[in-house]
Amino acid sequence: MAIIPKTHPTYLLDVTSALNERPAFGVGDRVRVLVRFPVGHYRVPIYLRGKKGIVESIIASPYVDNETEGFGHNAGSRLHYYRIAFPMTEIWSDYVGTQTDSVRIEVYETWLEEDAK
Amino acid sequence: MSTEELIKRLPNDIGGMPADPIVQVEHALEPWEKRCHALADVIDFHKILSTEEKRRGVEALGSEVIGKLSYYERWIVAFANIFFQKGILTPTELAQKMAEVEAREIG
Amino acid sequence: MKQHAHTEKHDHSHDHPHEEISQTAKPSYYEIMETAVRELLCEKKIIHSSEIRRQIEVLDSRTPALGAKVVAHAWVDPGFKARLLEDGRKGCEELGISFYDDTELIVLENTKKVHNLIVCTLCSCYPRPVLGLPPDWYKLKPYRARAIHEPRAVLAEFGTIIPDDVEIRVSDSTAIVRFLVLPMRPDGTDNFTEEQLATLVTRDAMIGVVPALNPPEEQKK
Repeated sequence: MAIIPKTHPTYLLDVTSALNERPAFGVGDRVRVLVRFPVGHYRVPIYLRGKKGIVESIIASPYVDNETEGFGHNAGSRLHYYRIAFPMTEIWSDYVGTQTDSVRIEVYETWLEEDAK
Repeated sequence: MSTEELIKRLPNDIGGMPADPIVQVEHALEPWEKRCHALADVIDFHKILSTEEKRRGVEALGSEVIGKLSYYERWIVAFANIFFQKGILTPTELAQKMAEVEAREIG
Repeated sequence: MKQHAHTEKHDHSHDHPHEEISQTAKPSYYEIMETAVRELLCEKKIIHSSEIRRQIEVLDSRTPALGAKVVAHAWVDPGFKARLLEDGRKGCEELGISFYDDTELIVLENTKKVHNLIVCTLCSCYPRPVLGLPPDWYKLKPYRARAIHEPRAVLAEFGTIIPDDVEIRVSDSTAIVRFLVLPMRPDGTDNFTEEQLATLVTRDAMIGVVPALNPPEEQKK
């Protein structure tokens, strides 16, 4: 195993930087919810997985990931929740209602990627 | 049905699943239910057992228990399990205390 | 050990409240467990029994009347409404409503173009500091499963028909944020005092399943 010198930036990879508390996404950004299946505990409902939405707002304070908090770890790196708007028709292929009807929901930063389209 | 679904989808993750019409039921909490709620709040304030741990603890009971126990029944069983995991209580200690309470209250 | 009667009566496995109160004064298995857990924590000095008593008083002090006061004040004071929509928690605290937990609050305004509805599909998140504890139906499967998928059908079951040109926004609580719906002020209430307005604001209107009440005919103006 390679020894990483202490001066090397990757040495700091698992150290929480204050910079990480700056939100990664901005209001109006198009984002996609990642498709993955953690076991044990999560707060991203299955109906959202892989769905595309737009960032409506950023929850101001950063928080510990509730997937670790659920197991009693109340400290550690803090990231942001984003309030995301998803069209109902994006989530449900059989949606009955108006095209503009939507879901608004807070999603933790680690679950989002930029929707480059 | 693949057993993966039992693991991948938490029992409480029910958004979008088929369900019955809504019946607008409500009931005034029984005194013990209110005490249980207050207990949940107090142990969350001190982060002895947080709201998030409680949610996880309820999910961990599994769908059969979740389906059959009432709301606060699920909470108190989840609390007991988490306190055992944390080493704050032991199963024997709780069993002895429950026997003591039962003898005292029921005789 | 006493058997829990409900498990024998209901072999189906859906979520439901247990409304029947035991005919005898004997505490149930779970009630005994709650007492035992609480007493052990007190004996170990992890919590104090006075904290439980105090929190029960806090819970008892939280009712939909608090939320109604917030809504009525927002209807009569545009500056307050703007601050409330900007930061729901601070807005409530301005009216002396403290938050006993670490939740945030987003207040969602209903308009002629947008109707908001709140749900917690994963559990039972609810704006407890301003509305008290949620009704059972809010915590049960039918509402949680369907409000997010067929909100118009769910609203219709509450007698609420939303026109097709109105956008429905369903907010699903998953994290630290709770929601409160600011319903539209009913017509015919121009001469109402703030206290009179508050009487038109129901819990269900602040969940978003119904509009605010219409004023009684004789009071309309």
